[in-house]
Amino acid sequence: MQQQPQAPVASATQPDQLESCETTAEAPPKQVALAMERLGQAARLIADVRLGADRLLEALFIAAQPHQSNKPLHLIVNEEATMRQHLQDLRAVGRQLEESGVLNSLRSRNNSWGLHMPLVCPDGAVVAYAWKRQLAGQAGASAVDRTRLALKAFTDQRRRFFPHLEDESSGQTSGVESGVSKKHCSSQASTLTHKEEPSEEKTLPEVLLRVEKEAPNMRIFTYQHLDWLKRASALSSSTNENFIESSKENNFQTSNRLRTGSLGPVSADQIAAVELLVPSVFRAIISLHPAGSIEPDAVAFFSPDEGGSYIHSRGFSVYHVFRHLTEHAVKALQFFLGINTDTALYNLLHWICSYETLFTKSCCKCGRLLTIDKQSTLLLPPIIRPYRHSFTTKATVTQSSFSMKDQSSHLVPAYHVGCYSEEL
Amino acid sequence: MPLKWLLHWQPNAGTTVNSQILSEVSQCVESINGAKEGRWKSTLTFYRPVLRDQTLQAEYPRDCLGISLQEQPNKYYFILRSQRIVLEADSTIQMIMEKLQSYKSRVSLYFEGFQYQLGDFQLRVGKVVPTHSENLRGIVMEVEYLPISSLDKSRQIMEDFVDIWQETVSKRSLPGHFMHIEPNFAEYGLSDHYTSQHTAVQYAIVMAQLIASVRN
Repeated sequence: MQQQPQAPVASATQPDQLESCETTAEAPPKQVALAMERLGQAARLIADVRLGADRLLEALFIAAQPHQSNKPLHLIVNEEATMRQHLQDLRAVGRQLEESGVLNSLRSRNNSWGLHMPLVCPDGAVVAYAWKRQLAGQAGASAVDRTRLALKAFTDQRRRFFPHLEDESSGQTSGVESGVSKKHCSSQASTLTHKEEPSEEKTLPEVLLRVEKEAPNMRIFTYQHLDWLKRASALSSSTNENFIESSKENNFQTSNRLRTGSLGPVSADQIAAVELLVPSVFRAIISLHPAGSIEPDAVAFFSPDEGGSYIHSRGFSVYHVFRHLTEHAVKALQFFLGINTDTALYNLLHWICSYETLFTKSCCKCGRLLTIDKQSTLLLPPIIRPYRHSFTTKATVTQSSFSMKDQSSHLVPAYHVGCYSEEL
Repeated sequence: MPLKWLLHWQPNAGTTVNSQILSEVSQCVESINGAKEGRWKSTLTFYRPVLRDQTLQAEYPRDCLGISLQEQPNKYYFILRSQRIVLEADSTIQMIMEKLQSYKSRVSLYFEGFQYQLGDFQLRVGKVVPTHSENLRGIVMEVEYLPISSLDKSRQIMEDFVDIWQETVSKRSLPGHFMHIEPNFAEYGLSDHYTSQHTAVQYAIVMAQLIASVRN
């Protein structure tokens, strides 16, 4: 009998420690459940105390009025008794919570591991419980070790969920953390978001020049930030033709290869919007952020006849076909940005070129041009052009899966929204 | 402006068009989720030259058509089909014609019916009736594809639509079918970019077709 372990012996002598020993022998989920229950109890007791206080005040108020019997006195006495009981219960619950580590008190020495549950991480995630060994490992290790462990765990996760991302030394991490589990949040320091400055291999004029060569039917215009808004408002079906005619004249005279839609000379580092126009087919607007860089920010498609101040890279066309197309393009943009922000603009423009055939190329799956889209019950042409395999990761052309020779947009497959599935 | 194809109903040999067919066609539009939007009406007028000397009649074009379109309330269109001329004028020209008395209007026809929206397509199904009677002379349908204005670029889309449309209508086993005649717009001096003048020319062509089919 003397061989009994310390905890049960201690529990026999101290009744109020009995419960705490029981709880430490239980698994953390049960602890959490008990703690939640006790918190609930505490909340109820606090509510009772409040009510009691209200009643006392009421009784005092009644007593203050003249011509009263002993009734208020009875009320006060009764209420006092119940209040006292409530407060005692509350104290008991509080003690229980302290012992299980939910509440911290000055006398608490229970949790010597240095981590108190529940732990709220800097990014807001809550760690409700942790196994002792995990705590030991984390608490015992130095900050450097912990960081290394966390980085390793993160890299493993990333490799598992995002296999298409390349482990380049330039560590592009923006926008891909969604797959990482919350378990690592408590140890993830800001070291993981460090991003090396990407080397500017391409400037905006170079990118546009390259795209121009590939798509002779597409007109490219560049604009300063506010100039595009002015132009958009001026667009309307009657002035559209006039602009195209006059811009042809301007292009012959301009020595600057960048076709500037802005009024007056504009240097490349102020360009905030790029307009791609395939006459009679579509007009695409891409905004760059920051201005002058080659980082696309947003993209939208419109009919070439549309005009108005809603024509901008975050606007939506009034026509269904272009609205659906814009949604698809936004996904493509995010994909290209996720791969490599340096080549994202080129990839996006190159991909947009394939939409020259928007109204002429039939769906590769069903062979038709127009079909009733099941989801929206609209008649739509094939607006999907796959983007997952049509990108370059390096600035040079050699890695592209489409060689420079077959830049013809007729070779890019097209699908209806309903005909396209991710496996294709 | 968005381009438009004008289809007309070609009844089978020996049959005539009637209002039953019109209601069936309207039901077809609704069956492909066309949302009824409102009414539409265009007017076509035949003009004959007024000549003192009847022997000169041969020198003047006999088929001068005047058209007023719903979407262009301030304009009036003249078409001389034999000469391949189309002219866009202000709507006050009708008043001037009245005053001049050089050409008198002989027969007027209404193209009227309901307008439907089908996503990016706008359809107008209409009957052809003379101004002062209820005799149904024909059925026409305007198919407009709103996002584009180029006849060339839209050709495949429109053909596909007409195919889908013909399929839908043929399920009802009606005595006839819709036809589309593509006028040679270049002969009229019109470009690939669609305008109301193109519409006027299409109406003139359809009118000639309706007359021919009535004669047969």
